[in-house]
Amino acid sequence: MFDLINPSRIFHWIEKLINFINSIFFILLIIALTFALILSPPDYLQGDSVRIMYVHVPSAWIGLASFTSIALLSMLNFIFKIKNLNLITKSIAPIGLMFTCLAIVTGSLWGQPTWGTWWAWDARITSMVVLLIFYILFILAHKLIEQEEKANKVANIIAIIGLVNIPVIKYSVDWWNTLHQSSSIKIDGTSSIHASMLLPLMLMLLVLLLYCALILLMKYKTEIIRIKKKNIKRV
Amino acid sequence: MIQNFISMNGYGLFVWLSFAITFLVCAIVYYRTYRTLKKYEKDFAKELDQLSESERKLVLEKSKIASQVLASYSKSI
Repeated sequence: MFDLINPSRIFHWIEKLINFINSIFFILLIIALTFALILSPPDYLQGDSVRIMYVHVPSAWIGLASFTSIALLSMLNFIFKIKNLNLITKSIAPIGLMFTCLAIVTGSLWGQPTWGTWWAWDARITSMVVLLIFYILFILAHKLIEQEEKANKVANIIAIIGLVNIPVIKYSVDWWNTLHQSSSIKIDGTSSIHASMLLPLMLMLLVLLLYCALILLMKYKTEIIRIKKKNIKRV
Repeated sequence: MIQNFISMNGYGLFVWLSFAITFLVCAIVYYRTYRTLKKYEKDFAKELDQLSESERKLVLEKSKIASQVLASYSKSI
């Protein structure tokens, strides 16, 4: 099964996938932006400021999902010692870091008109900052430790420890009294968000996920070339 | 109507700034990632170029990825 993620097996698919995503990306982006900025209604309480949700929420979800993937792949790597997983986690980390930063910044921009403050040290925001710190530590481990094997090990440990923070972020709004509202979208189908707002949210999520896939594929390809370049003399 | 769309009923600054920051950051990261990838492809092709004919042939025969990188690089120039 692990042969499926062998670089030489998937390398030629990467180029095809990049081209495919590039070909549909801008059309989907225009559709998503039209829904988010024009067609979706303003909120009865928050007015048009609710439109910030269409970039804030998908960014936060991607930030969380990226770190969860990194941590789970790091665990798999500890058990099965698959070198290729390190390339994948290393490629995901900058994307997750970027979206976590975006979630915090857009959240702050949303906080000012709705809460009257740019920043509050409440449980959800603080746990997101902790996630940001874990991302920075993970990336720094790869950048500062010269021995690749040691760097991978340290980064994997950081990711696994950081996984503890994910449920804290998710349930922070239920466990503590926070300024941040509790989630309106639930997997069990009891979402309190109207379809006219859910559709643009899902469209923006799709667009940002495609963007992530694009960056991930390009970063992964770069990592493979970097390693191949190192080995060129050996071949 | 356009005025309303721009002002977003008084929330324009926050809404537009959120979208602008998000897409600007995404565009910068895309551009930097793309440039790094192309730089690595170029360096890889250069390194291959420095090898002798027989060595290059050997590398291209042994490594599928090497030939694919070279093909992708030649397409982009």
